[in-house]
Amino acid sequence: MTPVLELRNGTKEYRGVPAVKDVTFTLNKGEVHALLGENGAGKSTLTKMLAGVVAPTAGEIFVDGQKAQIRTPAEALRRGIAMVYQETSLVPSLTVAQNLYLTDNKHFHRLRGIYIAGQQFLQSLNFHVDPTALVSSLGAGQKQMVEIARAVHHNANVIIFDEPTSTLTPEEKYQFFSLVGRLRERGVSIIFISHALEEALQISDRITVMRDGEHVVTDATSTFDRDSIIRAMVGRSLSDELYGAQEGRTVRRAGQKVLSVQNLSMQNIVRNTSFSVFAGQITGVFGLIGSGRTEAAKVVAGVLKRDFFHGGQVRLNGRPVRYRVPRPAVRDGIVYVTEDRKIEGFFETMSIAENIYLGALAGGRTRSLTVSMGEMKAFAAEWTEALSVRAINSDARVIELSGGNQQKVVVAKALVQKPKLIIFDEPTRGVDVGAIAEIHHLINRLADEGIAVLVISSYLPEVLQLSDRILVCRQGRIVEEFEGHKADEETIMYAAVH
Amino acid sequence: MISALTRAWDNLLGVGEAAVTVPPLDGALLPNRLLDEADVRLPLEGVDSLATVGSELLASSGKVLHVLGDEAVWGLRHSFETEIAAMAATGDGLAVALASGDIVVEGGRLDGHTYRAAPEVTCITALAVSGGDLYVANGAAQGSPDDWQRDLLQRGASGSIWKVDLESGASSRIAGGIAYPAGLAVDGGQIVYSEAWRHRLVRIDAANPGQPQVLHTDLPGYPGRIAPAAQGYWLSVFAPRTQLVEFVLREPGYRKRMIAEVPRPYWVAPTLRTGRSFYEPLQGGSVKHLGLLKPWAPTMSAGLCIRLDDAFQPSLSLHSRADGATHGVTSVVEFRGRIWAAARGDGLVVAIPLGELGDGA
Repeated sequence: MTPVLELRNGTKEYRGVPAVKDVTFTLNKGEVHALLGENGAGKSTLTKMLAGVVAPTAGEIFVDGQKAQIRTPAEALRRGIAMVYQETSLVPSLTVAQNLYLTDNKHFHRLRGIYIAGQQFLQSLNFHVDPTALVSSLGAGQKQMVEIARAVHHNANVIIFDEPTSTLTPEEKYQFFSLVGRLRERGVSIIFISHALEEALQISDRITVMRDGEHVVTDATSTFDRDSIIRAMVGRSLSDELYGAQEGRTVRRAGQKVLSVQNLSMQNIVRNTSFSVFAGQITGVFGLIGSGRTEAAKVVAGVLKRDFFHGGQVRLNGRPVRYRVPRPAVRDGIVYVTEDRKIEGFFETMSIAENIYLGALAGGRTRSLTVSMGEMKAFAAEWTEALSVRAINSDARVIELSGGNQQKVVVAKALVQKPKLIIFDEPTRGVDVGAIAEIHHLINRLADEGIAVLVISSYLPEVLQLSDRILVCRQGRIVEEFEGHKADEETIMYAAVH
Repeated sequence: MISALTRAWDNLLGVGEAAVTVPPLDGALLPNRLLDEADVRLPLEGVDSLATVGSELLASSGKVLHVLGDEAVWGLRHSFETEIAAMAATGDGLAVALASGDIVVEGGRLDGHTYRAAPEVTCITALAVSGGDLYVANGAAQGSPDDWQRDLLQRGASGSIWKVDLESGASSRIAGGIAYPAGLAVDGGQIVYSEAWRHRLVRIDAANPGQPQVLHTDLPGYPGRIAPAAQGYWLSVFAPRTQLVEFVLREPGYRKRMIAEVPRPYWVAPTLRTGRSFYEPLQGGSVKHLGLLKPWAPTMSAGLCIRLDDAFQPSLSLHSRADGATHGVTSVVEFRGRIWAAARGDGLVVAIPLGELGDGA
């Protein structure tokens, strides 16, 4: 049988760093093919290549056995390949029906006409969404439904679902699964990316597991169980080379309790979660994307606000604190190193020196009352040397630096504030291998100096290598704690997805 | 007026005093089953306090002072006229505080001496001896040690610490206004006490008690007696904190009616042993799943003792979880290479070899 869609020896590199390496993937007609792997395993990149969102660096795509060049999503759609994204791609200021018919060939629609057609279409899918409602007024689950409906509306014969159920309620999930069943009966082929292993086992015909951008295994779903999938997802040789083995590792003893988060709640993202962070220790937090790790850390740092009523308590050195903005948190010694450095981490058109000095200004660590160029240069010289930031000079703009050096600038901006508690969110995301080792060394040094360090990471080997204690976050709360030297990848992953 | 407004505001938002939160059991306090898995489990109904004198391990149970025999059997050492409230070794003897408020020395150079901190001291919870001085923790100005739940629910803060000269019998009050001092230790001429209702450990200078220093705050349970260890100290935590109790503690009207109208065993309050009657609060789905008690359930009782380092920071802990059988640990001592814990809730004394406790021991 000719596969309806095939990627042969597909590779995708970003700045020379491979996200997908030499992967061959086939999708048969009328099958549901689950694509599984850790965060960063390359699942989304693989499907984006198939959907024309990114161009492969190497490799070929075949549609119905014919070699095809898919350069844009519109081209993919013309060939019957639609993708439902993890982050919805709807236009929030338009109505549901307008979004459904937005990419139609017909340029002019009667509003009344598309509302009626939209209503009928959504009802046929059993989706209870008002076609006249603005997308911005919809909840996450309903937005997901509209995304799905749009893909079905385009009569796609291949639909790629990227984490479709993460925002759906149990009832909506049930409806989604029955929709998938109906689509399969109509001969539509589906690629299903999910972290929920039960869902993959329940609805898929075949499963492909990826790891570190490489293909690990593809087989019929009946040959898998939860444990074998987890083993395939986490057992990596590359990470052993990069991050070393757990055997013989020692962990630091905890010092004073610096941070105590008690019954913290923020909407339905952080749910009554509690944890502590101790001085002189690295506390690692592992969890899948959407498990509420980042949001909990942001509440601690004053970037986000906890629930107004009965939102729990944060204690810093035993003293209850509540930060509505980051500035007082920074003054109290809490620093959050963001996971999205380009948006939140630095001013890209400003120089390294200016960015570092801004950190000192924010933390109130400057000696002079006004902006002092001399002091700025002194700070920049001290920290670029301490963190080995490789640039022509400290006047270089941050945008000109590599990902690793950009991250070091963000870290320098944080450290100049002399933190008591530093929160690293995905500290090595988009950073090359050499810089990873340097950043890890730096994080270890901070803990050795007695600073309380919290490291949030989606990359298990990183969590295992760095952490003295490992907290596992699932569905908005900390569900397990492991000692750093006693934990293993399978146990942690099991706790994160079970 | 201002405080009433602040209280109302806090109650509305669930902040400040009205933040119904409980610190997590993590880090050195990560739950385990070490107390339940102890290889030595010696039944002793009503056991409360443990003390070591020379080569003997002594345990109090009601009015009776027991001694551990060679074949791990409790033998009768002495029977008093009133209940034993607390004990501490004086070096060669044993100071025994009775529920009446009298303190009697058993054995040693001071055998038979009787002391009294003050006529109004009738709720002795812990004793400690240093040099020629005996330090006495008086849990509350009124009531007996067995009445601790009432003192908690009434948010009592009338406890005090006293010093008694063992030679002259002269006594003086060192500190007052303490929310139930339940444990005492002497650390280099300074007194460290556990303040149960404020969940903290506090250090005061016996000579200059004006400036208490909080050593550790926000414990996840109600701290009790403190005993010196080979390295650091052992702290018994006689009951866990729960969000339900924290909530009830912020509802004065409810508490008042509960104390007046509900029999004591069924109060919404921490206890040394829960789950004995279906009339108790917290039943069914909140603590059980498919008929089995959830180990992590927020029950009113649990077993917990904490090893503290020299700076009084937790370094290791021994637990009996919600579904365990070693609840209500009121006293812990080190003796002959083992850690001995008196679980009053379950009426037994358990012992764990120190060597099995890993790096922290």
